[in-house]
Amino acid sequence: MEQFLSAVFAGTASGAIYALVALGLVLVWRGAGVINFAQMGQAMFSTYVASTMIMNGYSYWVAFFVALAVGTALGTVVDLLVMRPLSGKRSSAMLASPAMRGTVPVIASLGILGILQSAAGMIWAAEERGFPAPVSTLGLSIGGTVMPFTAFDLFVIGIVILTLIVTTIFFQKTGMGLAMRASALNPEVARLSGIRTSSVRTLSWAISGAASSLAGLLVTPNANLSPNTLDLILIIGFTACVIGGLDSLPGGVLGGFILGLGISFVNVYSSPSDIFLAILALLLIVLLVRPQGILGSKEVRRV
Amino acid sequence: MFKHFQTGNAIKSIIFLALIFFLGKIFDPYNQGQLSVVLIYFIGILSITFLTGLSGQISLGQGALMAVGGYTCALVVLNLGLTYWQSIIIAVLVSLIAGWILGITAARLSGPYLAGTTLVIALAIPSLATRFESVFGGDVGLSVDYGTPPEWLSGAIGEIGYEQWQLFAVLPFATIALYLALNLFKSRTGRSWRAVRDHEIAASLAGINVQRIKIFTFVVASGFAGLAGAMYGLRGIVGPSVYPVSLSLALLTGAILGGLRSISGAFFGAALVVFLPDLIEFITGSWDLAPQIGNYLPAMVSGILLILTVVLNPAGIAGALHHHKPRHK
Repeated sequence: MEQFLSAVFAGTASGAIYALVALGLVLVWRGAGVINFAQMGQAMFSTYVASTMIMNGYSYWVAFFVALAVGTALGTVVDLLVMRPLSGKRSSAMLASPAMRGTVPVIASLGILGILQSAAGMIWAAEERGFPAPVSTLGLSIGGTVMPFTAFDLFVIGIVILTLIVTTIFFQKTGMGLAMRASALNPEVARLSGIRTSSVRTLSWAISGAASSLAGLLVTPNANLSPNTLDLILIIGFTACVIGGLDSLPGGVLGGFILGLGISFVNVYSSPSDIFLAILALLLIVLLVRPQGILGSKEVRRV
Repeated sequence: MFKHFQTGNAIKSIIFLALIFFLGKIFDPYNQGQLSVVLIYFIGILSITFLTGLSGQISLGQGALMAVGGYTCALVVLNLGLTYWQSIIIAVLVSLIAGWILGITAARLSGPYLAGTTLVIALAIPSLATRFESVFGGDVGLSVDYGTPPEWLSGAIGEIGYEQWQLFAVLPFATIALYLALNLFKSRTGRSWRAVRDHEIAASLAGINVQRIKIFTFVVASGFAGLAGAMYGLRGIVGPSVYPVSLSLALLTGAILGGLRSISGAFFGAALVVFLPDLIEFITGSWDLAPQIGNYLPAMVSGILLILTVVLNPAGIAGALHHHKPRHK
């Protein structure tokens, strides 16, 4: 029972982080039609910046917000320098067919990932370093009994829920959020009604960059920081999006929690080496049984 | 599918064979070894040329298919005691079946869905090796090699070094792969692939069974990848560290840099990916760089080249060289 409970709590906390990663991926997919395989590379880079600041004596929270700013800036730069020039080339032979329009940005994002990882390796010498948590990562003890969760688990779940609430308010209640939803739904009509769709696209990249750098900050206290550590998180986040529905923000979040719990159970009741096989099995089942995901809509998959 | 085997293609393949053989005679042992890796990457990249360049389906998991070929080959050599080239043929057959299974699943997917799924496959397949350690040898892997060169060959061309034999053992297979690729490009199958890539609906209206041709692409590509993987493993070890995700990404990088839609591009890309670290070492050797910068410089340069190619010169090296000729559509 105790094992079961600790699997549930650990799974919910890591699921919250996967939900953030999925949120970042879905934002860019809806806003720009690209799956950004460089996303966790951006997160790794901003987390390294925060880690360096903390090592130089700045407080956790200063480093925390600087990392979010770096993540936002990286997202913006990726769009302005690479993705926007690329989408301006729709008439070139290489990008003429829909199949290649989905494929080429993926390749470009892999190039960005390579650049970010090698840059981090050059700057920080690829040393594995830990990353601090703002609160304890040991089992929380209340009245003498050690609980199956840590204060940091509660912190993670709290901060992710806060982020989800802010994001929902942004999309439902603000003009900019409305513009983003309109552009995702129908870029042509959105442009005709006066929305600057290219700025909206850059904004998607920026918000996604912030969300993924937050995910990087929350995941690294439990895993060492190195240029490649976050690759696995990207794979899990991608799978979460596909399970939940690539074009649905709630879907991505739901998928994140499902995967977090699933992986936690595999970890506790089987062995960590089975994680990839479990992810692959889950991904294939969803793609064969319900390819649009749990909450996704059918048409958008044909883009 | 092979109705029109052209003599021109046979002549090109024989010139290729002779040229590589000549380079193998004049290179030093280190570069002979590198050249054998170029040939193996060439075959692996051809599988991406078919999948992505001709039929528009991306795969980030060709390394996993190479692992299927490599492990099959090693298990056959170790358990059945066949020679290396018999094992390679069996490895290719098993890879064709693996490609068929993958194709049935993957033909329904496109673009980013396919990219992500194949990436997960690239991560999951090598972890099978540690899951079933008694069969696949765990993290250490299985050790195999090309054996010793036959006496008739060393009798004909003189003493053959270790790396040189690796090169000469790979060369006939690379030549066959080139010959098959040249014919496939011009065949009815190649045209169907391009039709599906450019407009699925128009292709199906023209009488092409889109699903079947997509699955067939995966079968062919998997055969090529399995061949490459078997020969890659025979260089010494078949294990998870030989077929990492970075191998799949290196092949994709080579395919893009060389030119995604051409056979000569596949070769240029393979040569570039293999020799890039040596080239950078040669240029920066006297600059006295910190070791961490030197270590990461090849990855940095190939990332930059990848983006520049995709944005500025999508047809790659081959496209830049052939831009005066009418483009293959």
